[in-house]
Amino acid sequence: MTKTLFEKIWDSHVVVEQKDGPSLLYVDRHLVHEVTSPQAFDGLRMNKRKVRRPDLTFATVDHNVPTSDRSLPIIDQISAKQIQVLETNCKNFGIQLFDIHSPNQGIVHVIGPELGITIPGATIVCGDSHTSTHGAFGALAFGIGTSDVEHVLATQCLWMDRPKTFEIRVEGKRKNVHAVTAKDIILSIIRQMGTSGGAGTVIEYRGQAITDLTMEQRMTVCNMSIEGGARAGLIAPDEKTFQYLKGRQYVPKNYDECVDYWQKNLKSDRGADFDKSITFHADKISPQVSWGTNPAMTTNVTDTVPFPEEYAKGNPDEEKAAIKALQYMNLKPGTYITDISLDRVFIGSCTNSRLEDLIEASKVIEGKKVSPKVRAMVVPGSQLVKKQAEELGLDKIFKDANFEWRESGCSMCLGMNPDILAAGERCASTSNRNFEGRQGAGGRTHLVSPVMAAAAAISGHFVDVRELDLN
Amino acid sequence: MKGSVIKYEKDNIDTDVILPGPYLKIHDYNELAKHAMEGLDKDFHSKVKNGDFIVAGRNFGCGSSREHAPIALAYSGIKAVLALSFARIFYRNAVDGAFLLPIEIDEKSYKSISDKDILEIVTEKNEIKNLTKNQIYSMKPFPELIGKIIAAGGLFNYKP
Repeated sequence: MTKTLFEKIWDSHVVVEQKDGPSLLYVDRHLVHEVTSPQAFDGLRMNKRKVRRPDLTFATVDHNVPTSDRSLPIIDQISAKQIQVLETNCKNFGIQLFDIHSPNQGIVHVIGPELGITIPGATIVCGDSHTSTHGAFGALAFGIGTSDVEHVLATQCLWMDRPKTFEIRVEGKRKNVHAVTAKDIILSIIRQMGTSGGAGTVIEYRGQAITDLTMEQRMTVCNMSIEGGARAGLIAPDEKTFQYLKGRQYVPKNYDECVDYWQKNLKSDRGADFDKSITFHADKISPQVSWGTNPAMTTNVTDTVPFPEEYAKGNPDEEKAAIKALQYMNLKPGTYITDISLDRVFIGSCTNSRLEDLIEASKVIEGKKVSPKVRAMVVPGSQLVKKQAEELGLDKIFKDANFEWRESGCSMCLGMNPDILAAGERCASTSNRNFEGRQGAGGRTHLVSPVMAAAAAISGHFVDVRELDLN
Repeated sequence: MKGSVIKYEKDNIDTDVILPGPYLKIHDYNELAKHAMEGLDKDFHSKVKNGDFIVAGRNFGCGSSREHAPIALAYSGIKAVLALSFARIFYRNAVDGAFLLPIEIDEKSYKSISDKDILEIVTEKNEIKNLTKNQIYSMKPFPELIGKIIAAGGLFNYKP
């Protein structure tokens, strides 16, 4: 019987299977951060339970850590407390923590792969919806809430209904690999399938334009699977995957043996059936800019802000949503995307804060200055990314252009730390959600690639980055 | 279970508006409740009563995995959210911690229910009575696992 990659990973992790019922799934790696874990640890204490596999559990602080000078104390006392509570919990329960001063601190979805905690074929969970990122390595990875976090800490298992399978093929080659990025691929996919088009499924991304991507680019694609409503996104591992992970700190000691197994087992069989399938063509994808208040409200940089009735295609609810989104975003239909001017630029988040993202963005700004109307910041995804970028001199390029160069964390992606938009401010952001108030109450978010964000910082408005010399 | 409706005729009500990011640092559930729905409806806290239901459109609770979202609603007094569909993590969070019931309803029921209607939800019969309008709607039965977790009173009480 032929099987998809998802089915192979699922089947090899089922502890208990009930006919037509939910399955108990074994969890290979559990990533923990300060925001969704405190109540879970409290629950363990209350019920006198231990963490079943502290050796498979890894923690860091990312959501609310300030991205300013780390030698200074944290001003926000509530944040400081939450960070300290995680430190205490990790100490009490014997969990490895990469604390605020660790050279391995960073956004949980950046450091997992970076440290080799993420490996192909594994099941990975984290109390964070963007856990789907790790699917780039052929791992089955999904976000869970705090009760499930407690359940996994206590049992290393999770009850789940078996998801359906969804094949998304992106065929052919991108026309300009620097201007049309992984972010543009995933935004155009979500734009077409909608915010719940992937509901109940695990997506496997396939096709030449996907295998052409580097590991960091694949992470960008899988990261936003949740914005399409999917439980997880997967890409079959290949030589790039094995090379990327080789020699990283936490990969299994018998790495070469593992690679043999992964090569043989971790791909969808020829002719395997998916519950649904759609195909995109990479050569038709343009640089994308979101104009509304969910990630599906996105268009080509060369287009105009849509008229609600044109966007809604006859669906009155969609039309209403678009009218409301345009009000919130303070945009008029028919405005050229390239005429939208910006107040802020944010390069960072678990979607786009890795070394390659920063390299690509730096090419746009080298020798130029940020528009005087714009405040721009770069928040590297991890301390390691920051260090590697500084070794390449990227910090200097960004700072010379008047970008702020900051410490690693989630930062302005979700507005939990002091990095937020003021009401009415408009931001080109490399993050993943343009929801109302996400980056600060009343803030207006446009989701874009790092290259687009960098170009917007310099020009003060969006530009067709295909016209820039990015080689 | 009887209560009054607070209706939002809107799809994709995300967890960032249900409980905005800055409040994720708060551990006290009653304190969280003061900020429920703050990103969408500034008056929510003053108008919500214990036992109320929220009625909303598609993909309710999309976005972040924050369990703070159903917690903030539950500690505001919301006993159930009736929506055309739910995002998965919100759905699981709502039942795992036994915070509130996520109930899927069909388009016709959604359109029929108005703000401030009094509903009676009878989950054993998968039935929703609109006492204000004297109508009866059917709710989508809970999937097997979810039904068992709800019956057990949350994930940790559930024994297969």
